[in-house]
Amino acid sequence: MSKDKILEVKELKQYFHTKKEVIKAVDGISFDIYRGETFGLVGGESGCGKSTTGRTIIRLYDATSGEVKFNGIDVHDKKSKKNLKQFNRQMQMIFQDPYASLNPRMTVREIIAEGIDIHGLIKNEKEKTERVQQLLETVGLNKEHASRYPHEFSGGQRQRIGIARALAVDPEFIIADEPISALDVSIQAQVVNLMKELQEKHGLTYLFIAHDLSMVKYISDRIAVMYFGKIVELADSDELYNNPLHPYTKSLLSAIPLPDPDFERDRTRTIYDPSKHDSVNAEFREVTPGHWVFCTEGEFKNFKLAKAKA
Amino acid sequence: MENTILDVRNLQVTFDTYGGSVKAVRGLDFSLRKGETLAIVGESGSGKSVTTKALMGLIPKPAGKIPKGEILFEGRDLAKLSDKQMQKIRGKEISMIFQDPMTSLNPTMKIGKQIMEGLILHQKLSQSHAKTRAIELLELVGIPEPKSRINQYPHQFSGGMRQRVVIAIALACNPKILIADEPTTALDVTIQAQILELMKDIQKKMDTSIIFITHDLGVVANVADRVAVMYAGKIVEIGTVDDVFYNPKHPYTWGLLGSMPTVDNKEEKLIAIPGTPPDLIHPPQGDAFAVRNEYVMQIDLEEEPPLFKVSDSHYAATWLLHEDAPEVEPPAAVKERMKGITSNHTSVREDYHS
Ligand SMILES: Nc1ncnc2c1ncn2[C@@H]1O[C@H](COP(=O)(O)OP(=O)(O)OP(=O)(O)O)[C@@H](O)[C@H]1O
Ligand SMILES: Nc1ncnc2c1ncn2[C@@H]1O[C@H](COP(=O)(O)OP(=O)(O)OP(=O)(O)O)[C@@H](O)[C@H]1O
Ligand SMILES: [Mg+2]
Ligand SMILES: [Mg+2]
Repeated sequence: MSKDKILEVKELKQYFHTKKEVIKAVDGISFDIYRGETFGLVGGESGCGKSTTGRTIIRLYDATSGEVKFNGIDVHDKKSKKNLKQFNRQMQMIFQDPYASLNPRMTVREIIAEGIDIHGLIKNEKEKTERVQQLLETVGLNKEHASRYPHEFSGGQRQRIGIARALAVDPEFIIADEPISALDVSIQAQVVNLMKELQEKHGLTYLFIAHDLSMVKYISDRIAVMYFGKIVELADSDELYNNPLHPYTKSLLSAIPLPDPDFERDRTRTIYDPSKHDSVNAEFREVTPGHWVFCTEGEFKNFKLAKAKA
Repeated sequence: MENTILDVRNLQVTFDTYGGSVKAVRGLDFSLRKGETLAIVGESGSGKSVTTKALMGLIPKPAGKIPKGEILFEGRDLAKLSDKQMQKIRGKEISMIFQDPMTSLNPTMKIGKQIMEGLILHQKLSQSHAKTRAIELLELVGIPEPKSRINQYPHQFSGGMRQRVVIAIALACNPKILIADEPTTALDVTIQAQILELMKDIQKKMDTSIIFITHDLGVVANVADRVAVMYAGKIVEIGTVDDVFYNPKHPYTWGLLGSMPTVDNKEEKLIAIPGTPPDLIHPPQGDAFAVRNEYVMQIDLEEEPPLFKVSDSHYAATWLLHEDAPEVEPPAAVKERMKGITSNHTSVREDYHS
């Protein structure tokens, strides 16, 4: 894989101000995503900021501070507004809930063609119909489905419609926010296989948000682990899985049930106690090439030592 | 069978709808033993929830019916009981935990009072005894400072704590059977792990029998003694957790197991079960899984397979087990899984123990 950066996120913060308090949903995170890869963003706790990260990157929210560069252009920069339309086309999002994210009053054709119309990609009605049919086929549906409404489809089929909608404008980069969490396992496999296939064919780049580490491990090249607004560890997916360093990652891995009775019978869980270490003086540090951990200077030295011994 | 607490025989449940009668459960046989956990897995719409509703006497009438079958619990057939008789059993002998803790808690009633209700109704405890017991129960499910917590409302509890309260309510009257329908799906993984441990703990202490419904095969591997796999309103495979994970016989079970990634199968495609589940208004003739089965034979389209015996603990309903059927091998990804993750992944394990 070439190391061409499609997305650069630097010190991104997204705070929400409520009457009572300030919620630091995303609290200074940095990472790059390379063209053609799948970057997994996981977190075991609900509310740790995964969706907010995705939504801020795609500009559903204005960032509190920090920088997001897409193909080298700052997307939150006022001056880049004129590039906005092009940006909106190149970056698409698949949403967490396939039931809530499709307009129930629109036919599948209207849902898929909406982006094509907004961006004026195809004017000719006949060509547009052909394009919609082709997209439906790409995601494993058929052209008869075009005239139906979302409620006539199963969860997996709806998620496919969401994918067809995202693909309609030929994006380079897709943010998939828990695209399979609401689906049952056999349908999850259909959607994941489809996403992999499309990636191979169209050279897509994915930011794949999830809380199920086994599926993320399967689909991702690299994985970042989020804990309360911060990325605590980032590494190649095999490295992260085989050599987790941050105690939260270890605890997360130890909590995920694996479909293997023998393994489950003598699993012991590691419990993460955030008070055990100093997060004030912690920084994001690179322990081995490509393996980053949010840690203090002291912890960093220990990780390095442990790595050198291994 | 010795130690059997619940015996379900040829259970059928239908719903009258505008389009016709939906045959949601089409002849179910299983038994539940004292102190065991039976997990029920299967595709969305396969009849898992309807089955548990039938056990609880909660099939909505008049559209819902139990045209045939028996639910034998301590010598009585629950399918024949009146609503009134069922009320005495529900919450006392058999109780249930639902997916979303918020739907089963009353947002305007203090936690303590919600736990005490069942105790006063079923156990006929006095106000003050019920209160003492409610505090004990909160302690049992791991809520800190239960004495002050009983005076709080559900919104003052986190999602995981609410689910603990729901479990406390379900356990209030020491039920003999606890039914949990996706009890941890709405929770994040770390809290899920705590709740599962809690349920196992309580089961050990009270010898409760648990029916556990979930889509998550990891959770099944963690909690189940036995597993029933449902497809289109029937059990297609049932056995011990080891039988089903390490020696699966039904092609639908193969599909289910193959659709989850193992730790090392990155390069392979996941097995997705093609097609969609059958229409339960007009269930197909023969084996309901036939049209989606890559190992389909002529007989599958004509006649429904019986449950063939694989071993004393293990049964599967597929013609592939008939003595005249050709030998077929499960897909490679499933065979890989049958060896277990343990054998090819020791490093994570060591890490967990450190
Ligand atoms: N628009 C908003 N206004 C105020 N607070 C918000 C808003 N959106 C999110 N939050 C808060 O920010 C935090 C992070 O939420 P986010 O949805 O990003 O979490 P998540 O990691 O995606 O969780 P989940 O696993 O439940 O999807 C939460 O505390 C949430 O309540
Ligand atoms: N009240 C009802 N009226 C009509 N049909 C119903 C009713 N309740 C359930 N069904 C049908 O019965 C079948 C079984 O539903 P059930 O809820 O038991 O599925 P399930 O296995 O629990 O699925 P899931 O995994 O999605 O919860 C489905 O086809 C469903 O549409
Ligand atoms: Mg989210
Ligand atoms: Mg259900």
